Amino acid sequence: MSFLELTHVHKSFSATAAVEDFNLSVDQGEFVSFLGPSGCGKTTTLRMIAGFEVPTSGTITLDGNDLTFQPANRRNIGMVFQSYALFPNMTVADNIGYGLRVASKPKAEIKQRVAEMLALIQMESFGARYPAQLSGGQQQRVALARALAFHPKVLLLDEPLSALDAKIRVELRQEIRRIQRQLRITAIYVTHDQEEALSLSDRVVVMSRGRIEQVGTPSQIYNFPTTDFVARFVGQINLLPVEVVSRAEGVVRLGQQTLRAGQFERLNGHSVRLAVRPEELNPGFVEGANNLMGTVDSITYLGSIVRIRVQVEGQPLSLDVFNERKFQFPSLGDPFQITFPVDACWLMSGSDAPTATDQGAAS
Amino acid sequence: MKTRGGRFWAVFWGGLALLYFFLPLYGTLEFSLRMQKGTYSLLAYQTVLADPQFLTSFGYSAAMGVITVTLSMLLFVPTVYWIYLRVPKARPIMEVITILPFIIPTIVYVFGLIRTFSGPPFQLTETPFKTDILITAGYIVLSMPYMFRAVDVGMRSIDVRMLTEAAQSLGANQVQILFHVIFPNQRIAILSGALICFALVIGELILGDFLVRPALGPYMVQVGRDRAYEPAALAIISYALTWICLGLIQFFSRGSKTQRQLTGR
Repeated sequence: MSFLELTHVHKSFSATAAVEDFNLSVDQGEFVSFLGPSGCGKTTTLRMIAGFEVPTSGTITLDGNDLTFQPANRRNIGMVFQSYALFPNMTVADNIGYGLRVASKPKAEIKQRVAEMLALIQMESFGARYPAQLSGGQQQRVALARALAFHPKVLLLDEPLSALDAKIRVELRQEIRRIQRQLRITAIYVTHDQEEALSLSDRVVVMSRGRIEQVGTPSQIYNFPTTDFVARFVGQINLLPVEVVSRAEGVVRLGQQTLRAGQFERLNGHSVRLAVRPEELNPGFVEGANNLMGTVDSITYLGSIVRIRVQVEGQPLSLDVFNERKFQFPSLGDPFQITFPVDACWLMSGSDAPTATDQGAAS
Repeated sequence: MKTRGGRFWAVFWGGLALLYFFLPLYGTLEFSLRMQKGTYSLLAYQTVLADPQFLTSFGYSAAMGVITVTLSMLLFVPTVYWIYLRVPKARPIMEVITILPFIIPTIVYVFGLIRTFSGPPFQLTETPFKTDILITAGYIVLSMPYMFRAVDVGMRSIDVRMLTEAAQSLGANQVQILFHVIFPNQRIAILSGALICFALVIGELILGDFLVRPALGPYMVQVGRDRAYEPAALAIISYALTWICLGLIQFFSRGSKTQRQLTGR
């Protein structure tokens, strides 16, 4: 049996289902992220684990104990909130020690634990300050220390970095992972930021409209999406409407040009799209690979990479190339040869959003 | 030039407002000092302060004020907290209920109280102690608009729900959350509500008069009817008491670093 187990969890708010048939097993010490757009049910699921919402049906067990109807204050689960939720009337040290104080631990023990936690978040000299005297990043570190100080069994993080600026976000992200690994604590992390989810997690749960779309390691999620939603939501992707030439061999046609796909098992129906990530495409021609010819439509500098958009048979196709000084960029309207390996692309069926380059969520 | 003109008018209107406020006060003060003919003296003050009835009524009203403040605080902070946390839809209803003392004239309210509580089953007018219970309840109702609004503003300044959830996740129960998190973060709101509430009880006339309790309000009216200079002295004393209360509030609200943080000072 897993450490944390959610079985057929369902949550409705009046007539609206927020979470439907949610099943997940989390091992001890694992870092799992819930990733999805706003309103997909990820925060509701987290709040049910925390005890702030009661599931309409289904069970939640932790370490063999049924938590489903247990009050939040008896679950021994730490939580970090998006807007820190530090107690403004308490110092940093009092905030961190609060969980131990309400558990009536001896003062000496609280003091020692607070010192340990301050060292863990590298804020030893900040114990006497008040939350309002700290920056956002510092406040969130304190909130993290507070959520960990009372030795919780699970740590929940509800979009903890979304209120911070980009640089601090990346720093704190690494800090969270370091601390989680150091303490070997089971962590559930809710985010709508795919980069965060992919870089932090052992496993990612992608959610949409209250349901789990896919559960897998970051590389499984990114490289082998099992649903259209995951393919489109995580990362950038080109989706080209193609015509099937040979179903058995995965041969398709885009206008006058023929292509082969690496993955085509899930193919059914008539509306077929060829999916390929922009970074898999290269300029040039390679014998035996998929090759396409088009004209340059736009060029966008993104710093380390440059995104070139090419019109191929009336369809836009994006490719990412590293921004190397030696690279000679084409001009708009130039003919442009694109190549990509057969196993870099796959065929998807489905009727929604049949064309164009779909943009991932927040990146 | 424009700034200069602007400043002139600012000073002018400011000065006019000060005059409007302080001139009557000065008049009262000046009059209160003229009890002895031909010279200024504190005789009126001495007479007022030497009157045992003044001390009794002031002591009574002050005690009632403290009890009213304590009870309305214990009533309103948890109630408003609960509304914010669990039944936000009930807030507009509370707004209406708490404004009723402004709509219903106190005299009507007092007659209602007397009619309801002077006979069985809730006979509360037969002994002074029971009448004190009734009058305190009355004061709580009269101070409701102020106390509710003060606490309401205080609750709005913090994210009640999130702080509650944070404390819950750390293992705190409802009572601990209320005393460790909600009350301390409401200190200034509670203090300002308490000041208004206290001042209201000190100056309240109708309840004390009709329920026949030795409150300061009826005493001041009595003195006003019978004497000339003492009412002026009483008015100045009550002003001073109000300012002392304000000073105390200010002192307590600046008392700790935390509160400076909370108010952004």
